Amino acid sequence: MKHPLLPLSETMHYILLALKEPLHGYAIMQTVERMSEGTVILAAGTLYGAVENLSKHGWIAPVQGGDGTEEGIRDHDGRRTHPGHRAGKTGAFAGTL
Amino acid sequence: MKKRKWFINLLKEEKWLNDRLAEGYACRRVSSLGGYLFEPTDRKMVIRLDYQRQMSAEKYEEYKGTYADFGWTHLKGSRWGSVQYWQKPADGRDEIFSDAGSQIAFYQRLTHYALTTACLFFIYICVLFDGHIFTAMFDVKASYLTEGLWEMEGAMFWRAFLFETPFAMLRFLPAWIFGIAIVVSLYSYFLYVKRKKEYA
Repeated sequence: MKHPLLPLSETMHYILLALKEPLHGYAIMQTVERMSEGTVILAAGTLYGAVENLSKHGWIAPVQGGDGTEEGIRDHDGRRTHPGHRAGKTGAFAGTL
Repeated sequence: MKKRKWFINLLKEEKWLNDRLAEGYACRRVSSLGGYLFEPTDRKMVIRLDYQRQMSAEKYEEYKGTYADFGWTHLKGSRWGSVQYWQKPADGRDEIFSDAGSQIAFYQRLTHYALTTACLFFIYICVLFDGHIFTAMFDVKASYLTEGLWEMEGAMFWRAFLFETPFAMLRFLPAWIFGIAIVVSLYSYFLYVKRKKEYA
């Protein structure tokens, strides 16, 4: 049977590409905007739904920050890979594929 | 400015709220019983309504956090399957859904929400009227249970009638809410199918 996430939407496609490195919500939107040269600008509800869906199927997974603080995005070794943005209340996600 | 208004259709409510904001107001508070508090503002504001099914506390924080990151202020909503009210200053990125897929999913949730509402009221009517919905809707007299009410005359009739009216409303209004909820769910379903066809 065909996987429920297929065919992959443009939104999902870009999010997966962006999550080659751990990013949280707002940073995903910025990365996708940059990658698509401004043609794909994710809105909050769309991003939440897509991340929710991708993580439900295990295509992405939450990444814990090194020291538990939420202000920055870190990779698996706890290195800071992104300066962090705004309130940054949402957790970071990374691709698992 | 305080306003009181009742909506069953979430899309109409959103439109009405944005019409108020376009008059130069920002929404301060939304109460559960259809009360809206507005205050004048110089900034142009937008409100968007979302519906989410019940979710875990953790997911709800994630949900609210994502919107907050995008500049949305949460006006009202709970994690127990409810309408979520979001407001923010207009800046050209004023939608909460940016692709067809998420909009389709939204209409799907909306259909589910209207159907749930209809079901709840249907159960209520079944208990009160043995499921005779049309009696409840159109035979208003059936909602008045005072014996001999319609034979009374003059002041006595009006006293008894007015006394019972609030109770009668509890009996016939749910039937109307049920009817409207069915229409809204059909309408949401129609939007869902239409959007899906456009997308496919």
